[in-house]
Formats: sequence, C-alpha cells, structure tokens
Amino acid sequence: MEKLRLSVSDFVAVTNQTLEYAYPSVEIEGEVASFKVNQDKYVFFDLKDSTASVGCFMTVWQLRVPIEDGMKVIVVATPKLTQWGKFSLTIKSIRPSGEGALKKSFELLKHKLDHEGLFAPERKRALPAVPQHIAVISSTQAAGYADFIKILNDRWGGMQVDVAHVQVQGADAPDQIIRALAYFNSREILPQVVVIIRGGGSADDLSAFNDEPLVRAIAASRIPTLVGVGHEIDESLADLAADVRASTPSNAAQILVPDRGEIIRAVRYQIKSLIPRVEGALQQQSFEVRSILERALGRLDDAVDSRAEQVRSIRSVLAQLNPGLILARGYALIRGQAAVGEIIEIETDKSIMKAEVKYVETK
Amino acid sequence: MSKPNKTIQEKITELTQLTEWFDSEEFALESALDMYKKAEALAEDIEKDLTALKNDINVVKQRFDSES
Repeated sequence: MEKLRLSVSDFVAVTNQTLEYAYPSVEIEGEVASFKVNQDKYVFFDLKDSTASVGCFMTVWQLRVPIEDGMKVIVVATPKLTQWGKFSLTIKSIRPSGEGALKKSFELLKHKLDHEGLFAPERKRALPAVPQHIAVISSTQAAGYADFIKILNDRWGGMQVDVAHVQVQGADAPDQIIRALAYFNSREILPQVVVIIRGGGSADDLSAFNDEPLVRAIAASRIPTLVGVGHEIDESLADLAADVRASTPSNAAQILVPDRGEIIRAVRYQIKSLIPRVEGALQQQSFEVRSILERALGRLDDAVDSRAEQVRSIRSVLAQLNPGLILARGYALIRGQAAVGEIIEIETDKSIMKAEVKYVETK
Repeated sequence: MSKPNKTIQEKITELTQLTEWFDSEEFALESALDMYKKAEALAEDIEKDLTALKNDINVVKQRFDSES
C-alpha cells in the first residue's frame, strides 16, 4: 500500500472529516471549568470529569441558560481539530444536568431577568373576562393539554381555539414554542390570549420553560400570555414572565373562562329572588287597602253612633210629652163643653167616665 | 323578548336591568307579572344559549419543529 503524504492543513481537514463521520453529534456530560466569554461573542470552557478534560467552544448566542464553573452540564457537540492542532468540542447546545445545576442555572437567570424588569408587576396585562378567540401552545398528545381542553369545554363555549402542536420538553421544545408564539403574534387577527401549557414532570422535563430566549419571547408577546406549567409547586421563569400565571393546565382553563354552570345558577337565583319581592309588594298593597277600608269603616261607625244619639235624644223629648205619663201621675183628661147640663167625658189613668156639668165658674 | 342576535353578555345585562326594575321606584304591581314573565323567559334563553355553546378547536397546520 502506498504511503499517504499529506500537508498539515490536509491532515487537519482529513482528521476533521473522519471525526465528523464518526461523531456527527455527540452528547457528553461533565463539569464546567475555566468558563470565560471573549469579546462578548465567544465562549470557552473546559468540560471535565475526575480523570479527563476537553476544551469547548461556542458562541454567546447559543448559550440559552447561565453557565458557570463547577456546574454539571450535558453538551451536544461536534469534535474538531483546530488549525493550531488543538482538539476541542464545538458546542451545539448546552444544558444543566442534575437538580443542583438546574437550580443554580434557574436562580442565575431569574436574578438576571428580574434585574431587567421582565417580571415586574407593572408589565402585566389583564386577560379579557370572556375571550372569544384564544391560542394554545402545547403538545396535543400531553395529558396536561387534554385536562385543559376538557375543563375549557366544560366551563365555556363559543370560542375559536387555535392550537399549535409543539414539543414541551427536550432540547427542541423552547425553539418550537418560540416559533409558535411568533406565528400567533404575526396573525392578521390576533388571538385575545395565548395560553402555554404543559403538565407535571421532572425538573429536567420542565427546564425547557427556563430557557432564556423563550422567557424573553413570552415577555415580548403582543398578545397577553397565560402560562400553566407543571404542578402547583413548580415555578418556571416562563410563569414569571407571563401576564398571568396558572398553577396547572387545569387552573389555566379556570382562570381563562367563566363557569357556565355558575352563571346558570346565578341566573336562576336572580329569577327566584323576584318572587319574594313581588309577594312583598302585594302584601304592602293589601295592607294599605285594608288600612283605607278600616279607616272608612271607622268613620261610618262614628256617623251611625251620632245619628243614634240624636234619635235617642228626640225620643226622650217625645216621651216627656206623652199624655199617658200625666194621667199616670193622677191627673184626668176632660173632653166636652164646659156648660151647665152638658155631658162631659173624664179619662183617668185607669178609667173613662161620663159626668154632667152642674156648675161653671170662670176663673 | 330579546333579539335573537344578542350575545349572552347582552342578555345577562338585560336580565340584570329587568331584575333591578323590581327594586326601583318605577316598580308597579300592575306591570310586575309581565316583567317577571319577561325575566323568566330571558333567563331560560340564557341557560339554553350557555348550554348549547361549543368551542371550535382547530390545530393549526403550521409545523414548528424547524424554521419555515
């Protein structure tokens, strides 16, 4: 076999071709050391474990989460031999690995974005009370999405719901969600709310929602945002950047729309409450009519009593004039002519007699 | 009776105004029965509308797994 003689440049090129063929993309887990950023553009660090270390290179724009020395990370990279003969990894993506690193990265980014005012309460916009057109960004195969849609349909209807199906975990998730957000924000007719939801998962599963470009895209959305990621105890930076935060996808549906069942109950109560009001008014009117009648009856009684008194008085006067009473006292009533020889009639209380006039003397 | 093209919110507002009439100075016993029937019909209408409402859910065709 003929010996292959190469120039140094060719050797580097052939080596890189071989490496690219053998390891087009390799995932490596290790600890970050000697992390530095040059000219605000280029990132250099070493990835190491207890026995080995390899240099890494990437650009600042690829750095989606804060990284610092001592942090455990997983990188997706392409191995490369530089023209100076130095072996290094060209990093395609990097993410914290393990609870400690995730937490550290979360706190660093939270502090940075909070300092920029991305989570400020004054930036928050109110959601419409009863939206008619909403956008949902989620995985349509996820349980969280199914919960959200079920509760949404149970509580309210008549809405146009546009759904963008995206990955909600893994390295590709943040960019897919960012593209979906951009899609809805570029519509001619904007939805009134964009809802980003994902059910519970491990810290690593939910780490897509702590991605810096995604958090910034949520904060920059023209459409008001509602984010419901994970369980009640989970907090993501996407939650903090949203206009409204829901504790779960189900809670997002509860926040978003009123409950038609509650409205129906309230409407029924409104109608039921009218009956006592009408009954009260009827009782009041009836009471007033009774009062008027009682007053009229009282006046009638007074008039009757007054007339009866008058009659009693007249009867008393009439009784005094009765001739029978005078006869009873011993007097007599004489009828006939007072002339001698005339026969006269004498009436007493007990008898009527006839007598002849014997003597008449004028008084 | 409310117009058929009114929104549920408009009907609820109308129902609230109708029920407020019962507490207002305009209340008259002669009109109360008519007003009650009107409110009752409106409430049934609202309940029917609310129950019949369905969401139109549409998964957009646009793919987001790569830059388009």
